[in-house]
Amino acid sequence: MNVFTNNPIDITQLPKFEEVQLKGLNPKYITVLLFNFSLLLTLVIVGFSALFYFKRDAFSNAIWIAILVGVVLFLVGLVVFTKFSFHKKGYAFREHDAIYKSGLISETTTIIPFNRVQHVALHQGFISRKLGLASVELFTAGGSSSDLEIPGLLLADAQLIKNLVSQKINPPRKDKLNEVVSTETLLTEEHE
Amino acid sequence: MNKSVDFSQPQRQSLPGILVMFANSLQKTVRALWPMLLIWLVKFDTLNKLVFFGSVAGVVVLIGVISYLQYLFFTFHIDEENGEFVIQKGVLNKTRITIQLHKIQQVNINQSLIQRLVGVHKLEIDTAGSDKKEASISAISHELATILKERLINHSQLETIENTENIREEVIPTSLIKIGLPSLIKIGFTSNYIKSFALIFLFFTTILENLQQLNSEVIDEDKVTNYLDTLPIITSFLVIVGFFIGLVLVVNLVRTILKYFDFTIQKSKQAIILSYGLLSTKNTLLNPNKVQKIKITQNYFQKKLDVITIGIHQASSDVEKVKEKDQIEVPGCNENERDAILKLLLGQLPQKGTMYLPNWRKLAVNTFFFLLVPIAISLFLNHKTEFVTWTEWFIYAAFFCVFAGVMLWFSFKNYKLFVSEDFIIKQNGAWDIDTTIIEPYKIQAIETQQLFWQKATNIGSVTLSTAGGTVSFTTGNYTEIKQLVNYWLYEVETWEKNWM
Repeated sequence: MNVFTNNPIDITQLPKFEEVQLKGLNPKYITVLLFNFSLLLTLVIVGFSALFYFKRDAFSNAIWIAILVGVVLFLVGLVVFTKFSFHKKGYAFREHDAIYKSGLISETTTIIPFNRVQHVALHQGFISRKLGLASVELFTAGGSSSDLEIPGLLLADAQLIKNLVSQKINPPRKDKLNEVVSTETLLTEEHE
Repeated sequence: MNKSVDFSQPQRQSLPGILVMFANSLQKTVRALWPMLLIWLVKFDTLNKLVFFGSVAGVVVLIGVISYLQYLFFTFHIDEENGEFVIQKGVLNKTRITIQLHKIQQVNINQSLIQRLVGVHKLEIDTAGSDKKEASISAISHELATILKERLINHSQLETIENTENIREEVIPTSLIKIGLPSLIKIGFTSNYIKSFALIFLFFTTILENLQQLNSEVIDEDKVTNYLDTLPIITSFLVIVGFFIGLVLVVNLVRTILKYFDFTIQKSKQAIILSYGLLSTKNTLLNPNKVQKIKITQNYFQKKLDVITIGIHQASSDVEKVKEKDQIEVPGCNENERDAILKLLLGQLPQKGTMYLPNWRKLAVNTFFFLLVPIAISLFLNHKTEFVTWTEWFIYAAFFCVFAGVMLWFSFKNYKLFVSEDFIIKQNGAWDIDTTIIEPYKIQAIETQQLFWQKATNIGSVTLSTAGGTVSFTTGNYTEIKQLVNYWLYEVETWEKNWM
C-alpha cells in the first residue's frame, strides 16, 4: 500500500495549459480553407464579369476599376487572413485533456478534460478526402458550444487520436489491453 | 406504510380511471363531431326526438364500452429480470412499451382538472432517449403512484447496491418547505414586469385588431379621448401610466399565484419532490445529482421584503431544446428557506471564497456601446429629420444618460466572481441581481478568450460550460483567469466524483 499523502496544493505549481507546446495543423489544410472561400469568391467574380460583359454601361469606367481593385484587394486580404489564422490554429493532448487554440482577432482556447468526453467522431469532407485529411470532434454533455473540433489532421493521425481518446474514455480492462493494442484498425465511425 | 405492492405482476390502472378515459374520449368525439351537433341543435324542433336521443345514447354507451376495454387492456409492470418497466395497451392494435429502468431520468406525477375531480393522478416517465419513447399512465391512485415512482427511481440509481431490501426506511416524504400565499404575492408584485408587460401588449394589440375588424362600437374611442382631453396633460398621462402599472401588477400576481399556488418541497429517500399549481397540480421529481447550475435572483424591493427566486438548471437529455421541466423555479422563499434548499442540493452552504473583479475597461466599453453610441445615433437622426426640437432632445438625452449611467454603474459594480475550492459563484445584474452557483467538478469544458488588443492590457474572458448551461466572466485579469483555469482543470481531472 502506498503511503497516504495529503499535501496542500500550490496553485502556482499546477501544470499550465498556456505553456503547452501546441502542434500546428497540416499545411494542406490551407487549401481546404481557401477552397471554402473560393466558392463564394467565384460567385462574386462571375457575377461582376457577367454584368461587365452584358451591361457595361451600368457603371462608369472609374467605378468598374474601383470594383476590380476592391475584388483583388479582398482576395489578397482573404488569402493573407487565411494564412495568418491558419498559423494561429493549434492543438495539444495532455495526459488528461485536449487543448485547441484558434482565432486571429479573438484568440480562443478550448480545453476539454477526457473524463468529460461523451464520444468521439471522425469527419472527412470532400476536399479533405482528396487531400487525405480528416477532423476529429470531441463531444461533451455541455451542448454544441462546448464541443471541440480539430480540423486539418492527416487521416492516420486523426484515427490515432480518435483511438487514443476512445481508450481514455473507456479504459480497456487490463487482460484485454494486449488484444486492443494488437488490433490495427479499431472501429472508426466516419462521417462526411 | 410498507404496503408491499407486487409490481412484477401486470397491474391495471385504478378503477375510477375509466371515468378519465371516458371523459377524454368523449371530449375527442365531441370535438370531432361538433359541426354535426351544431346542425342538429339548430334543427332541433324538426328532428325525430327518438332518433336523436337514441343516437346520442348509443354514442355515449359506445364510448363507455371502448373506455372500459381500454382500461381492461392497459397493464403495466416491472420486469425485474430484464430490468425493464413494461406498459401494454391497445384494444385492437396492441402496443408494448418497454423502458430500461436505468434509463429513467424523471418520474412526474401530475393532475389535470378531470383527474382531480375523480381523485386519480397521471404518472409520466421521462427517459434519457428521445421524446417519443416517453410513457405515461393516465389514471393511478396517489398512493400507488408514489410507491411506483420510488421503485422506478430507486432502480435507476441503486442498481449496484445489493441490500436494497434492507433499506426499507420510512418512505413518507418529509415536508421541508412550503411557500405560502404572502410570499407569492410579494413575488408577484416585484418580478417579471417585462414578461407581463409583453403579454398585456400582445393581448391589447390582438383585441384592438379584432375590434377594428369588427368595426364594433363597444368602446367609443372618441369618448375615451374626449374624457382624457378634459383632464390636464399630466393627469391623463398619469392615469394611463397608472392604469398600465396596475394591470401589469394584477396580471403578474394572478400568473404567479395560478402557477405556483401551494408550492411544496418534500424530501424523500433519494430525491426531492416539488409540487405546485392551482388549477392543475404539477409534481416534479428533482435529483440533486442532476442539478448543474443554480441561479438565485433578487432585486432591491425583494431584498426589503425578504423574498428570493431560485432557478435550478438540471442536465437535460436534449441540450439543443432545453425542456421546461429541466429548469425549475422556486418562487418566493426567504433567506432561511434559500439556505435550506441550497444545503439540500449542494450538501453544504456555498462559501464565496476569493473575489475577482472585472477591469475598469469593462465599464468603459459598456458605456461606449450602451450610452454614447445610442446618443450619437439619436443626435444624427434628429439632425437629419428634426423629429423633436433640440431642447426636447436635450431633456430626453439627459434622462437617458442618467438612467443608462446608473444601470451601467450598478451592473459593473455587481459584476463579481467568487472562487472557492468547492464552488464557483458569479454575481451580475443591475436591478435584478443574479447569483449563479456551479460546482467545479460539473464543468464539461473551459474556453478562454482574448481579443488581440486586450493582449497589451492583459485582459481576457473565460466561459465554463456545464450540462445545464454556461457561466462566463469577461474582462478580467488574464493572468488570474489562466491560473483559475489551471486550478479548475486540476479539480475536474483529479476528482473522482461523478458529474451526474
